[in-house]
Amino acid sequence: MVNFLIRRLLFMVPTILGITFMVFMLLALAPGGIGAGLAAQGGQMSDTSRVAQMQAYLEDRYGLNDPVVVQYLRWLGRISPVKFGERDLRNPSGERVSAPREVKPPEMPWLFPPPDAPKVEFAPDTAESDAQVQEFRNLQRIAEGARRSYIGSVRLFKDTLADYVREEGAPWTDRLEPKGGAEPGKFRDLKLDPANAKFGALHQAADDMHRKWTAAEEARQRAFIAFRARPYPLSGFGVVPGVVYLDSPDLGVAFSKNRPVWDLIATALPVTLLINLIAFPISYLVAVPTGILAATRRGGWFDVLSGVMYLSLYSIPTVLAGVFAIGFLANKQYLGLFPVSGLHDSAASTYTFLPYWDEGGVWQMGWLVDLLWHVALPVLCLVYASFAVLSKQTRAAMLENFNADYVRTAKAKGVPRNDVVMRHVFRNSLLPLITMFVGIFPAMLAGSVVIERIFTIPGMGSLIIEAIDLRDREIILANTFMIACVNLLALLLADILYAIADPRVSYE
Amino acid sequence: MSDAKRTSSGAPKAISGIDVMRGVGAQQAKGFWADAWERVLQRKGAVFGIAWISVVAFFAIFAPVLASAHPVYLERLDAAGAVTAAEWPLVANLTPTDWLLMIGFAVGVPWTFFGPKSLGRSGRLGVLVVALLQAGLTIVLAGSIAKWADSSSVEWLKQAARLSSGPWPIVGAVAAVVGLLALIVPTFDTRGPRIATVAGTALIAATLLLMSGGQKLINFERYIDDERAGKIRAVWTPVPWSPQYTRSDMSAIAPGTAVAENPKLAEFAGTNFGERRNWLGTDALGGDVLAQMMWACRLSISIGLVSTGISLLIGVTIGAIMGYFGGWIDLFLFRIVEIFMAVPVLFLLIVAAGVLPRDTYVMMAIIGCFSWTGAARFTRAEFLKLRKQDFVQAAQATGLPLRAILFRHMLPNGVTPVLVDASFAIAAAISVEATLSFLGLGPDGQASWGKLLSSATASTGTFVWWLAVFPGLAIFLSVLSYNLLGEALRDAIDPKLRKAAH
Repeated sequence: MVNFLIRRLLFMVPTILGITFMVFMLLALAPGGIGAGLAAQGGQMSDTSRVAQMQAYLEDRYGLNDPVVVQYLRWLGRISPVKFGERDLRNPSGERVSAPREVKPPEMPWLFPPPDAPKVEFAPDTAESDAQVQEFRNLQRIAEGARRSYIGSVRLFKDTLADYVREEGAPWTDRLEPKGGAEPGKFRDLKLDPANAKFGALHQAADDMHRKWTAAEEARQRAFIAFRARPYPLSGFGVVPGVVYLDSPDLGVAFSKNRPVWDLIATALPVTLLINLIAFPISYLVAVPTGILAATRRGGWFDVLSGVMYLSLYSIPTVLAGVFAIGFLANKQYLGLFPVSGLHDSAASTYTFLPYWDEGGVWQMGWLVDLLWHVALPVLCLVYASFAVLSKQTRAAMLENFNADYVRTAKAKGVPRNDVVMRHVFRNSLLPLITMFVGIFPAMLAGSVVIERIFTIPGMGSLIIEAIDLRDREIILANTFMIACVNLLALLLADILYAIADPRVSYE
Repeated sequence: MSDAKRTSSGAPKAISGIDVMRGVGAQQAKGFWADAWERVLQRKGAVFGIAWISVVAFFAIFAPVLASAHPVYLERLDAAGAVTAAEWPLVANLTPTDWLLMIGFAVGVPWTFFGPKSLGRSGRLGVLVVALLQAGLTIVLAGSIAKWADSSSVEWLKQAARLSSGPWPIVGAVAAVVGLLALIVPTFDTRGPRIATVAGTALIAATLLLMSGGQKLINFERYIDDERAGKIRAVWTPVPWSPQYTRSDMSAIAPGTAVAENPKLAEFAGTNFGERRNWLGTDALGGDVLAQMMWACRLSISIGLVSTGISLLIGVTIGAIMGYFGGWIDLFLFRIVEIFMAVPVLFLLIVAAGVLPRDTYVMMAIIGCFSWTGAARFTRAEFLKLRKQDFVQAAQATGLPLRAILFRHMLPNGVTPVLVDASFAIAAAISVEATLSFLGLGPDGQASWGKLLSSATASTGTFVWWLAVFPGLAIFLSVLSYNLLGEALRDAIDPKLRKAAH
């Protein structure tokens, strides 16, 4: 069993790498690529505007300039529990604080030799911890600001270079990017010509870039020294100091909301879990008894009727059920029995937990009933499709066991019919239901994507759809990763439960 | 011979052992598939399913001539009311795909029933399917390549796409390549008829493409205005609306309302146009729901068949290789299967449909490429059982090529569970299309039941019942039909269930 477990756990690693890589490539190969959402955020593209500089800064911040495979490897490095390099710190609110990133040297050093890298000597204030934290945060902010203006100046320099090249004319203009920008690496053999109208502007842009680089590098070194002084406690568990350490996976920061992905998931996941945890028992409580009844009266009217009804229910797509429920049951134009959207009434925070009759004898809906009333339709849409699958499985398993020898023996020795059904046949038919129990969970998670969208419930499904609309790579990847982990562990759990429940099954 | 006649016509008569030995009363056994088909037809649900799918298929083929805002026949009149010219606008506006489907129907039905008896019915169907696939692929590929070449920066490609006589070099090249591919598929055993059908199909597809010409500017209002002014006399289709014909002054009209009953359009009272009705109402943009639903049949049928076809092609091939070889190959390929099983398929589809272009063919491709694992697992399980059987070992010993062992000898014996699964997969694909269209990730510029359904609930909180009920019913009936058919097929084919039933 232990061998089996280890083998299965090891096989999970390539599977998770595969699925995340596939989703990553899908996002990268799509028109517009991974950064498409950013471009949309920036509004109109204009070369030298602030928007373009902002774009350049965001691309740098999220590492969108590198080749796709490098970006994936970097993502993998963050998600991996084994990490390399300088250990992160963790601030009191639990956020990860990384060492300040390297600043790239200025462009075109062969034409515009950059100044020497500054050397900062600086002793941070370590006497008092509050002051130290304050100082570190200041330095961090300054470093980020200096880096931002440096990246903007690089962008400006490249645009000026493109203008310069356009003045030069053919054949140089052939080397420009399709969108009109200039990549300095392609102009190694460019000779500067003072007669060019943009000569002065190019020099000015280069000087500006050098000045800002010096400032950014200086600020980075300061921040790094302050980081080294550890204003916060270290995060994770060191293995080889400064080289390898263990830490929890870092899901990254969402582009679109500028918040850690983990925070977003932590607020959305309980909502989805709540709906699914209500839906789960209901689907079992309805489907299993009808499955048993159908099997005991095989071919009877109940068997035929439940079969037809469940197949019809199974054939209703979730969106269809959702639209009908919201249109006919919830909409004020028709029955208006249920709320149309959300999880709580807008005044729910003032409610008491349980319902009561107030002095005037008027029914006051408490927080709990309000919640149940809101989730009733989503839960209904979530459960009906699983009835068919579960009841069919129960019926098939029961029928298989009805033909078994031990049942015939039990009948022959005079065991009452109900005992035969419940004690002998049903208990032995439970095995496939155990597997279904674990397997149905990820499927429900997928189903709730659609349901949450229809009923505007702020759960995982809404988060995913929103992330896809905004092309937010970090949220999509983090969700893929989490769903894959849960799913694979659930499959493994099903196998283990199966082995525990059925002594005939062994994985040795 | 005379004995057999007597037993069949007269009263039941005891036959002796000698008679039995002579073969009296013996009938030729039905084939496996004929037997299964008969069992399927015994189920009422399956018959209902087949009937509904046939209705949808009928509309899928004939929607362009049944529901169109172009008149079928049009006479231009001068001021005195004399006919000056006659036109057939509907025919002129048919696309190559419309032509192909109708020609395919007109040729295919007689061919299937009255074609050469030597092929057998399944053989004739096979030829028809291969020919339709070849023509469809030619039209789709050549159309999109010509469009891409037209906007490409390579000069000679652009030249080829903009010839005054149509992009015939591109069409010809594509038709030839697809034809060569179709030649490989074993339809007829002899070479002559095979080449003849492939060449004929390629020729028809290329002619259709070149004849239909480029995109025409459509202005439906012109017909209405001219008719009202008495400049034309027109014969309309039974449903005189097109999905593309939307009028902002006709948004969200209730079912069965005549145009002139709408206060905004009271000026049309008494005219031909004013008496037209929207039998199933209109959507928020003012498009007729019935026309859209008829045109959407094509998407519903094609998305189910094509995406399941793609997933079968991938799944059966990978599953066959896994099951036949086993060992390391199986272990490695199963990891790939597991990658696709690690995340719910709907999740992957939403991600893919969200980032890729909104196009019908892209959608078919992603549904097919992400849902092949079921077929692969079924095929693998069957092949693992089959590979130790005598007939496979005999085939190996004869030195047959791998291709023949896998697909000619093993596949027909192991394909049944996959086929049953395919029926459910088509149902799932239709459901997925509705879901994606509902989420706003469906194909652009294409009438779809899911898209209509999604417009039933507006963000303003109003609910338009006819946009939910009619498309919803169509989606439900289609999914139900394929599920019923799948159930019936499974019961008919699965020997274990059949034995238990007796």
